[in-house]
Amino acid sequence: MSSRNHTQWNATPDLQRGEWVDSRIYSDEQIFEDELNKIWKKTWIPVCHESELKEAYSFRTMTIAREPVIVVRGKDMVVRAFLNVCPHRGNMIERRPSGNYKKGTPSGTPKTMTCMFHAWSFDMKGKCVNISRKEAGYQDRLNESQVGLRELKCEVYFGGFVWVSLNDDIGVTVAEFAKGSLDVLLPSLSEEPLEVFHYHKAIIPCNYKLWHDTNCEFYHDYLHYHNRITGFNDAYFARKNNGFDGGHINVGSFEVQYENYEGSHGREELSFPHLPPNHWYMIDMFPGVNFNLRGSALRCDLMTPLGPNSVMIEFRGLGLASDSKKDRQTRIDHHNSIWGPFGRNLHEDLLAVTGQGASMHPLAESRKILHGRHENETIHDENGMRHYYEEWGKLLDRNPSDPMQKFKPYPEFKEQVAQREAAAAVE
Amino acid sequence: MAASNNEIQQKIRELIYNTCIHLDDYQWEDWHDNCASNFNYAIKAYSPEVQADIKYHGGDKEYMESITKLLNKHNSDQSPLRRHCTVYRVDVAKDGKSATAISSLVVHQTQLDGVNSHVDAGTTSVFLVGRYNDKFVIDGDSIKFEDREVRLDTRRLDKGTHWPI
Repeated sequence: MSSRNHTQWNATPDLQRGEWVDSRIYSDEQIFEDELNKIWKKTWIPVCHESELKEAYSFRTMTIAREPVIVVRGKDMVVRAFLNVCPHRGNMIERRPSGNYKKGTPSGTPKTMTCMFHAWSFDMKGKCVNISRKEAGYQDRLNESQVGLRELKCEVYFGGFVWVSLNDDIGVTVAEFAKGSLDVLLPSLSEEPLEVFHYHKAIIPCNYKLWHDTNCEFYHDYLHYHNRITGFNDAYFARKNNGFDGGHINVGSFEVQYENYEGSHGREELSFPHLPPNHWYMIDMFPGVNFNLRGSALRCDLMTPLGPNSVMIEFRGLGLASDSKKDRQTRIDHHNSIWGPFGRNLHEDLLAVTGQGASMHPLAESRKILHGRHENETIHDENGMRHYYEEWGKLLDRNPSDPMQKFKPYPEFKEQVAQREAAAAVE
Repeated sequence: MAASNNEIQQKIRELIYNTCIHLDDYQWEDWHDNCASNFNYAIKAYSPEVQADIKYHGGDKEYMESITKLLNKHNSDQSPLRRHCTVYRVDVAKDGKSATAISSLVVHQTQLDGVNSHVDAGTTSVFLVGRYNDKFVIDGDSIKFEDREVRLDTRRLDKGTHWPI
């Protein structure tokens, strides 16, 4: 058989369950709503880095699952998160992306978050400190103690990233949620404070999981001339793609040959604490977070799903807060050469997922998307995606290969977990 | 006889506009020829999100030559970019050996293969808005770029591009 007719094209692939997914998971409106409610509103999401909140009274705003969120640093220097919604008339309290409340706003006094609409004010702990003309309007029926802001779970963890959850009952810390997937970089990122040196965002017409898939598999090296020329060797192909409970993965390191790309130089002079020069680690956390440490620069992708076929991706680059001016510039140049909006790799990655989004748009005919490569869980194995979709299926109770049917556990990962537990018992 | 201030200003305007044509038409070598050996290029924007000046791209002449040389090895959005530039101001140093210029810049992108060409090809939209902040070195009749900062207002570049602006 060479080319296929419609029936053949739509036939179930001759692969094991979990080795393909149905493209409706990338395009269906109801599935997207389920994801927001059952995943994005239930879990920890990193929203920014603490270096973006350097001083007391500084703030950042963002969105999780369509809910506006504000993160503020109090005068006690504790970072807290709240819904960015006034309890009076539902106005968004803060409209700016960032700032500091030491100075007053046109409607408000200094050191308060003030809704410009009717000047209700809140302190950095979310307590309402002023209802304008309270007695005149509410007499003794309502007071400040009854209208505090909605506080959200918030932690600063893993090199200073600020994590927020809309779920009051989440019941686990970020470290517990990570299930060990972050440990590989924890010493490098926790030794001394980090600082954001790069930020840009993109809105791409594709499902958020397509971006996460791309970060979870390295088989798309064929997209990148840079990776082929600086990477392909035995050590590269031996890198392990490790699955962790909760749908997280990380990818082991090797030594990148940056000098093989004409005009590029090795990065051996600059690294992170405890990280050998020119090494490259990657962590992909469920449901859509990527940490990518290439020698001298840490990249972090945070996603905000906007619709079944639209995602905002925020790209950050980080170095050490203690960097000299020269070292900082070197990190920036290294970061930009591959990962900036004009860099060699990022543009290629975004082109590819845009093409996937164009093919798998809402109401397009469903397709079978293959995740079936097995290479001993090394870098071109597609186990990272299979691992992700097992967790996804469990949480949504949908079968990724047939999302209108209920989930059944993948046989592959039961075996892997059993093998890991057996190996741990022997150790 | 040395060129007058007005003549130098006029030559600089012509150089900026000709460079737009070179960049529009992928004439990278012509662009590099108009840059001094110590040329430096940067694309920057201020990010109100992280309250910092962000360098998106750039390097010295050698780096810019090498990455434009390798463009055909990369997968790129081939949707053409067209620069609309207006030189607002040219200031020539008193000694006549250097100058600076500020130009307003709008870059339009006409879709070719960036999304679904059947639907989108031929659609033009604003790709970015910003300014060229240029510095020049003047040596007799020779005027070359010594520094170009592309200062962007636009910070949502979505897929981005491999091409210098």
